[in-house]
Amino acid sequence: MSSKTYEIRDPIHGFVVLSDWERDIVNHPVFQRLRRIRQLGWTDMVYPGAMHTRFEHSLGVMHVATRMFDEIVTRRHDFLKSELSFTDGGLEKDRTLVRLSALLHDLGHPPFSHAAEELMPRETPESKPYRHENYSAAAVQLLMRDVIENHPLNENYGLKARDIADFLNGRGSLGRCLLWRDLIASQLDADRADYLLRDSHHIGVAYGRYDLSRLLVTLTVAIDPDTDSPKLAVEEGGLHAAEALILARYLMFTQVYFQHTRRAYDHHLARTVQELLCNTETNATPGGNGTFPPPTDRGNVEQYLAWTDWRVLGAVEAGGGGEHGGILRARTHHRRVYETREIPHEEDLTFAERVRQALAEEVAFVDTAKDSFYKFDGADIPILRHPDTATERLESLSRLSAVVKGLKPVSQTRIYVPYGRREEARRIVEDLEREREALE
Amino acid sequence: MMDSLPIPWNRYGIIAELACRLKGASPQFGKTALQKSVYLLQALYGVDCGYDFSLYAYGPFCSDLLGDLDTTGTLGGVQVHALGWGLDGYQIEPGPRSDAIREKAKAFLDNGTVQDSLTRLREDFGRFPAKDLELRSTIVYADRDLGRNGDQPSRDELARTVQQIKPRFSPKSIDAAIAELEGKGFLSFGG
Repeated sequence: MSSKTYEIRDPIHGFVVLSDWERDIVNHPVFQRLRRIRQLGWTDMVYPGAMHTRFEHSLGVMHVATRMFDEIVTRRHDFLKSELSFTDGGLEKDRTLVRLSALLHDLGHPPFSHAAEELMPRETPESKPYRHENYSAAAVQLLMRDVIENHPLNENYGLKARDIADFLNGRGSLGRCLLWRDLIASQLDADRADYLLRDSHHIGVAYGRYDLSRLLVTLTVAIDPDTDSPKLAVEEGGLHAAEALILARYLMFTQVYFQHTRRAYDHHLARTVQELLCNTETNATPGGNGTFPPPTDRGNVEQYLAWTDWRVLGAVEAGGGGEHGGILRARTHHRRVYETREIPHEEDLTFAERVRQALAEEVAFVDTAKDSFYKFDGADIPILRHPDTATERLESLSRLSAVVKGLKPVSQTRIYVPYGRREEARRIVEDLEREREALE
Repeated sequence: MMDSLPIPWNRYGIIAELACRLKGASPQFGKTALQKSVYLLQALYGVDCGYDFSLYAYGPFCSDLLGDLDTTGTLGGVQVHALGWGLDGYQIEPGPRSDAIREKAKAFLDNGTVQDSLTRLREDFGRFPAKDLELRSTIVYADRDLGRNGDQPSRDELARTVQQIKPRFSPKSIDAAIAELEGKGFLSFGG
C-alpha cells in the first residue's frame, strides 16, 4: 500500500519524514507527552538554551537509526543474506521495527528525563530498579497497541507491539533481529549520535559535534572471528570520524552532563519529585514510599505517564516539593566543596573518604560519575580493516587510535554541602588539603 | 550521614579476583571472557555483582562492566595487555595493586558463597575460549528470558531461539552446549 509522507523540520537533520502510520503514532497522546519532558532536566540553570524536549530527540533518533540501517543494508546486502541468513522481506520488516523502536524508545522517561530515574521501584527488594526503557516497553504494549498493530500500512509486516517492546528490552525471542539492537543501544547507536549533536546545538557548545555524514557512509556489519558473532562496525575510512564521536562523548560528559551545578539540580529535582510522590495532595495514588508505580499493568503505566515536567513545575510553583522544592524556587542549590580528579588514584579516594568523615553531618550528598546516566566509560568501537579484501578483519578502535587508547573512564566523586554551610565546609577541606601537602 | 563514599569496591574487587582466579585456566581471559564470566557468575551462581546485562547478537553484555574494568586497571587492580590482533586482542591479568583492591572488597569476596561460586565458575567454565563462553551465556540468557513468565521453554524451543540469535553456530554445537549445561544442572526441561 502506498503512503502519503509528511515532513517535520528539524534543527539538526533538516527534515524528518513520517508515513501516515508513523504520523498517527506521533499524534498519540502517549507520544505527545514527550513535548512535556525536557531532554536535559534543569541543565538550563547552567546553559540557558537547554530547553529542548524528548519529542524532537525521538524524531531525530528515528531519522538517524533509519539512515544507519539503510547504509548498512546497502553496503552489506549480500553479506547479510549469505552469512547471516537475512531475506529481503525480513530486512524490510526489520527496517520498520528499527524505525518504530527508535521513535518510541524514550516514551517511558520520567519528568525531567534522567533526574527522576532514581525513583523507579523494584519488582522485589532483591531485584534491580526498573529503568525508563521498561516503562517505554510497557507503554508500547499496554497503551499504543491499537495504533501500532491496526494500521493498513502494517498489513504487509504484521508487526506486533510486543516486537517493539522486546526490541527495547533486548529479549531472546528477537532472534536474528538482535543484530539491529546496536542501532539504539550501543557505543555507535542513533540515540547518542542524535543527542550529542542536538544537545550541543541547543546549549550553544561545540563539544558534541562530530562528522555524522562520514560515520554513516562507513558503517558496516562484520563477523568477529573470535566469537563468530556479527558486530556493528566502522570501516577504517571512518576511523577518525569514530574517534571524533568518542571525543565528543568525553567532552560533553565532562563539560555538560556531569557539570557540578547541573548534577546538584538533578539531586534537588529527584528529592522534589520524591516528596511530591509521597504527598497525597500532589499524588492521588501514592505508593507511600516516594517511588513511581511499577510498569506492571495499564493503570500503573497511565498513572506514571501522568507525571510530566508541567505537573512537577506546577506543584513546585504552588509551594510544593518540600525543602528541595524550596531550593529550586530560591536557586540556593547545594554547593560542591570537594571533588577528586576525573580519573582518581586509590589515594585520591582515600583522601575523599577523609574529607567526608571530617565534614560529617555537613555532607548533603555525594555524587559519583558512576551514578550518572550519561557516563564516559570503557568506550570502544569495532573498526573493519581492509574491507572487501581477503585480509578483512575487525580490530578495536582503542588499538588503532592513540587518542582513544589514552582516554580513561571518568570516575570522579564530588562532595556537596548545603548552600548556607559552604564557607565553613570549604575551610575544613582547605585545612585537610594543607595537612596532606605537608605530609607529602 | 552515609557510612562511606559510594565507591563500588565490590565490583573492582570481583574483577581483580577473576583475573587472579582465571589466570592459567582461561586460554585468553580478555574482555569477552570477563563479560561472559560475570554474567554466568550472576545468573548461575547467584552472586550479585550489581551488573545489569542486556542481550545482543553477541550475547549478554553490560557496558558498566567495561567501564569498571578500565577503572580497576587505573587503580592497579588488573593489567590489560594488548595481545595479538582481533577485536578482543587483550589479556586481563592481576595488577600491581591487586591485593589492595581485593582487600577493599574483602567483606564481599570472603563470603563463603562467593568463594565457592568463584571456584565452581572456574571449574565449570574457566577453560573455555571466548567463543564457547559466548554461546553458553547466550543459551542461559535465552533460557531465563523465555521462562520469565513461568513457562519454561522446551529443549527444542531453546535450541531454535539460540540458533536464530547465533546463525553461524551449527545446530549440533548448540545442542551439545545445551546438553552440557543441562548435565551440570543449569538447565532443566520438563518431561
